[in-house]
Amino acid sequence: MRRIQNITKTPEGAIGFGIIAALMLVALFAPIVSPGDPLRIAGSPLLAPFVDPAFPLGTDRLGRDVLAGIIHGTRTSLAVGIAAAIAAIAIGLCVGLAAGFAGGAVDEALMRIVDAFQIVPSFLLALAFVSVIGASVPVVVLAIALGAWADPARLTRAQVLSIRERDYVASARVIGMHPVEIAWKEILPNALPPVLALSAIIVAAAILTEAALSFLGLGDPNIVTWGSMIAEGRNVLRSSPSLSIFPGLALVITVIGVYLLSEGLTKALAGRRSEA
Amino acid sequence: MTIANLSRRILLQAGAALLASTALPTLAHAQDAPAGGRLIVAADSEPKNLNPAIVASNGVFFIASKVVEPLAEASFDGKDGLSPRLATSWEGSADGKSVTFKLREGVKWHDGKPFTSADVAYSALNIWKPLQNLGRLVFANLEAVDTPDAATAVFRFSKPTPFQLIRNALPVVSSVVPKHLYEGTDIATNPANVKLVGTGPFKFTEYKPGEYYRLTKNADYWNKGEPKLDEVIFRVLPDRAGAGAALEAEEIQLAAFSAVPLTDLARISKIPGIKVISKGYEGLTYQLVVEINHRRKELADLKVRQAIAHAIDKKFVVDTIFLGYAAASTGPVPKNAPEFYDASVPAHDFDVVKANALLDEAGYRKGADGNRFSLKLRPAPYFNETKQFGAYLRQALAAIGIDAQLVNADSAAHQKAVYTDHDFDLAVAPPVFRGDPAISTTILVKSGTPAGVPFSNQGGYANKELDDVISKAAETVDTEARTDLYKQFQKLVATDLPLINVAEWGFITVARDSVLNVSNNPRWAVSNWADTALQS
Repeated sequence: MRRIQNITKTPEGAIGFGIIAALMLVALFAPIVSPGDPLRIAGSPLLAPFVDPAFPLGTDRLGRDVLAGIIHGTRTSLAVGIAAAIAAIAIGLCVGLAAGFAGGAVDEALMRIVDAFQIVPSFLLALAFVSVIGASVPVVVLAIALGAWADPARLTRAQVLSIRERDYVASARVIGMHPVEIAWKEILPNALPPVLALSAIIVAAAILTEAALSFLGLGDPNIVTWGSMIAEGRNVLRSSPSLSIFPGLALVITVIGVYLLSEGLTKALAGRRSEA
Repeated sequence: MTIANLSRRILLQAGAALLASTALPTLAHAQDAPAGGRLIVAADSEPKNLNPAIVASNGVFFIASKVVEPLAEASFDGKDGLSPRLATSWEGSADGKSVTFKLREGVKWHDGKPFTSADVAYSALNIWKPLQNLGRLVFANLEAVDTPDAATAVFRFSKPTPFQLIRNALPVVSSVVPKHLYEGTDIATNPANVKLVGTGPFKFTEYKPGEYYRLTKNADYWNKGEPKLDEVIFRVLPDRAGAGAALEAEEIQLAAFSAVPLTDLARISKIPGIKVISKGYEGLTYQLVVEINHRRKELADLKVRQAIAHAIDKKFVVDTIFLGYAAASTGPVPKNAPEFYDASVPAHDFDVVKANALLDEAGYRKGADGNRFSLKLRPAPYFNETKQFGAYLRQALAAIGIDAQLVNADSAAHQKAVYTDHDFDLAVAPPVFRGDPAISTTILVKSGTPAGVPFSNQGGYANKELDDVISKAAETVDTEARTDLYKQFQKLVATDLPLINVAEWGFITVARDSVLNVSNNPRWAVSNWADTALQS
């Protein structure tokens, strides 16, 4: 709770927190707000927005409710974004911790692997991964995480390298603590905050990558995503631009929300450090 | 030459044309159509192999048919639906074992060498029969080609081959290439596959990958007075949204094969100076088909297949997905083939109640979640419409308690999954009807095709009665008896539903009003454009 208060102290943190909290609620209650399969053909095709109260945002080329699509799309975007970020940070932390703590040949080997992943543009990596394995939500999450874990790994390693030379780590070693215990209990908690600040950026990038994959037809076609809605709307861009604009706006608001929250988080963490 | 200055030149030319046009009356006929000018056309693909004798596909014909000619071309009013090209007459023997072609005399290849019956014999025996995707089937029993003189070619078959089939296939399978450039070389890698040499009204002049193909007038063309145009440029515009804008900006004058998306047609047809034409594709009808994997025990049950057929609202598909630019199908032969078409086949009208009842009868009751069983549905990625129909079919099946999971893949992965690995339950495919059921239609349902052959029956369907009708028709020389067999074929397919025919469609051409003689034959987009002209 105190952490949330810290974040919402700054205006950007407060706005970001508000946006994300609202989106979370929408995602959570999507089946209640808009029951049924959002992909079902609900009305006549290409209804304009703000005309029929049953379809406030209109319908698409097949007669699917645009509002239902956006509401359910929130679930996909947030779920994929957050899951991919958690996966990327988990992998990154483990690799960074191992590399920084073990040092020597292990460090060298792991960092070269990190280099290899950083050289390849993460979007291309995700694209190749999904087109080889096939599109489904877990594969998309893994594909995005695969391109995003290298940054947290480097950051963790840098943190670990500095922390492991501290006096309290040396004393832990002297009293005979097991190296794994030292890494886990003494180093990790102190290396974590800057990596967590990075997490929001990863979430935002993951949401955009997911949308881009869906736009290219590489998302899961059985669930509605903002990216696939934009892609379908693109075919009628000249006559019904709203089909692309609404999901596009949803995407923009979400990514801005995540960035603002990340700003707030960073400032809160910095404030805590200066207090200490 | 870059596209930028190409465009500038066109604009200058267009300006000059505008000045000149005021003096000339409006023209309609090929004979008095004005000569000269450069036609710029949108192209959306760049085939690796441009030789139509090897790759008989519309993507190749679109460009290559202006350079390399067939023996005969499809025609709205000609005898047998054909108009002569390199052959002037054709006649089949009564036993179906030989066909005699009289060839046009005085025709020259673009490199100046004379065209003779030896070129036809070489193309038929060394390319059409062994290498061509469609020729393999049509000329499977071709044994020899006799050339008694330079202007006669006699095709000899080991088994009776229906003359009706040969005739219907001529425009597609009979592109003649020069023997003197291919003999003794590796045909598949011959440079003439890319830099074409033919007898057609246009010479292949230049290809800039990613930019354009340039064809220029063949001054020595056998039909004096043609071609009308000086140049045809195929400008590569892979983005479909780009073709409409390019037409409006007069950067191109013609976009064929629905390069302008269907959803844009209503808007673009209102722009003065642009015409939308749906004629000119009667000879290449695409069919929207649901392919069924009969290895799934549920789908092996006729009642389930009937239920799926009843669940599809063809009117919705035609009106909403194709925006009216299509027709509902009744069976495996489209209405555009009146020679074979039979309307009196069993119909499966849209009826959700009946579909549910059929599934109940078949013993697949709805579970607690409202589903009877799950299926894997793979829509072909080639067209927007096939993808959209996939999304629609999933919803249509949900209404009768079948949970269909869509699987998207790119073209290569889709073909491998469906036609090699059989990793599908239902698939949406757009096969082409090419004038005769034996060319590319019967293969969709007959059994015994090895795995890996695209656009064939890979659903494990085998029906002895249907197979017998198909093989009997393949050997029946008498036109009437053969046509009857194909009517039987349509009835059997519509009754037993080895696949479900949903809709059939042709493409749309959008052109500036200044382009004359557009869409004047049933395969216009892939014909030679010798009489196409620009109003100037």
